[in-house]
Amino acid sequence: MKRSPYDRINWKRELHFLPGYIVLIAWIAFAAAFLLWILAASLSTSREIFSGNVFAFKTGLHFENYAKAWRQQNVSRFFGNSLLYAVVTCVVVIFISAPAAYVLSRYKFFSNKMIRSSLIVAMSIPAVMIIMPLFSMTTRWGIKGRILLIALYIFSHVPYTTIYLLNFFATLSRTYEEAAAIDGCPPGKTFWIIMLPLVQPALVTVTIFNFLGVWNEFFMALIFANTEKMTPVGVGLLQIVNAMKYTGDYGGLFAAVIIVFLPTFVLYLFLSERIIQGVTGGGIKG
Amino acid sequence: MRNDKKLIIGFLTPCILTLFIMYLYPVARTLVMSFFRIESVTAATSTWSFYGLGNYAKIFHSPSFKSAMWNMVRIWLVGGILTLSLALIFAMILTSGIRFKKFFRAAIYMPNIISAVALATMWIQYVFNQDYGMLNQMIRFFGGTGVKWLGTDLKFWAMLFSFIFGAVGYYMLIFISGIEKIPADIYEAATIDGASKVQQAMKITMPLLKGVTKTNITFWSIHTTTFFLWSMMFSPVDTEAATIVPVVYLYNTVFGSKGNSQRDAGAGAAVGVVLALIIVAIYFVMNRLFKDDDVEY
Repeated sequence: MKRSPYDRINWKRELHFLPGYIVLIAWIAFAAAFLLWILAASLSTSREIFSGNVFAFKTGLHFENYAKAWRQQNVSRFFGNSLLYAVVTCVVVIFISAPAAYVLSRYKFFSNKMIRSSLIVAMSIPAVMIIMPLFSMTTRWGIKGRILLIALYIFSHVPYTTIYLLNFFATLSRTYEEAAAIDGCPPGKTFWIIMLPLVQPALVTVTIFNFLGVWNEFFMALIFANTEKMTPVGVGLLQIVNAMKYTGDYGGLFAAVIIVFLPTFVLYLFLSERIIQGVTGGGIKG
Repeated sequence: MRNDKKLIIGFLTPCILTLFIMYLYPVARTLVMSFFRIESVTAATSTWSFYGLGNYAKIFHSPSFKSAMWNMVRIWLVGGILTLSLALIFAMILTSGIRFKKFFRAAIYMPNIISAVALATMWIQYVFNQDYGMLNQMIRFFGGTGVKWLGTDLKFWAMLFSFIFGAVGYYMLIFISGIEKIPADIYEAATIDGASKVQQAMKITMPLLKGVTKTNITFWSIHTTTFFLWSMMFSPVDTEAATIVPVVYLYNTVFGSKGNSQRDAGAGAAVGVVLALIIVAIYFVMNRLFKDDDVEY
């Protein structure tokens, strides 16, 4: 049902959809109202927030809430940690998963099927089944600090990334490899310089999902980030909320909420279509 | 061919190592731990003592675990019905030929990409706040008196509704992908025969959505089994019976909580195994209930 923008609006037809519009607009208006309020509160003083009129801005816009949250409440550190975790994970996961996905999609060998099913099973194993041994293992071996969380995030994103990329490699024609082989290119090199760039759209989509996954991860961070130096945004925000009783700085709290909220929100503003396609696996066509 | 072998081994080794280190070994060890009496997670294997099914007996007699399971069931049933019906209604509206479809779809899905901690904080610190909160201001506007949303009585429902608000978009996307696969000519034929939109939804869309409904129920069940963050956020300082769920119970048993310094890694492992078994059972039951009799168009 494509409509060109030059069509005259058929009011009778639109009226027919009215109940639908009302439901959708009510839902979204609620979300928008509360987001706007949080944004306004992040620019207000605690007193203005408690008196219930954050949109008046009687004492001006308090951008210093952001500065305070960023410096005094340690948000800069949480933010930096999360960014580091997300970026390193996204890069390293591709280097582990892409070659594996390629080999699994291209070569027939004993245990190929078993590895594939293990990856799928691994995707649905709940974190509660693995955290305890991981905790004792890493404590015993003295692995701690940021490298610990980075390693856990990398490992926990390998199964999903491999399975996702596998489907894309399977759609590529074998003629690329044949041509490369005739020209004398060894298969390893063929993969890195010819095949990998061909699945670039899939790499981008899966990287977006891995980034969101790491940025929003909470459970493992809560258990493994036991020093303030390695705390990512989720757990950091929880600490700020819990400290509110003592600091009473509500403006700063809402500023921190907005700072944590913004990166993925901005990413979504630009990439929402791509993300939505990815969720329902619509991207499998490559 | 020798060259191929080298390539396969070289390319696969990191991935297989990941499976062993991150999944196979930890799962096996958790399973073993659940049959042993272990106090601290980090205790050396030599200090473990065999306990048989003792850990399982312990958790199933624990009142906290019972209320955790009860809350989980309520989230699954009440939350599941609400989330999936809302998701289906939105999906049907969005595929009915409405304007601004992409915008609405993106806006409803949006909470799913945001840090859930930030989202929960927004709900707790603003929407449900007793003094300046959105809900109470609306109630006062219409002349009512403010309600204590985060008191013991209403806390569970406050938690559930705010969780649902964020979750709906995901299930909606899956329903939409199912509806869009249904060929348009079925609807055209029905329209010509005089079927109303509502009749079409009930008689055509619903029956043809069996496959995606199965996917959605499976995902929702797993989602509820591993429910953790929202419970944690709604009772941040001390775990309360009103909002406790199995994963929070596990967290408290293994790592200790405020009022309880006694740790029991064995019992924690037993909780993990119970939850994993629930997930296995869900897959099994769903595959039995909805046999793959996919409709061919």
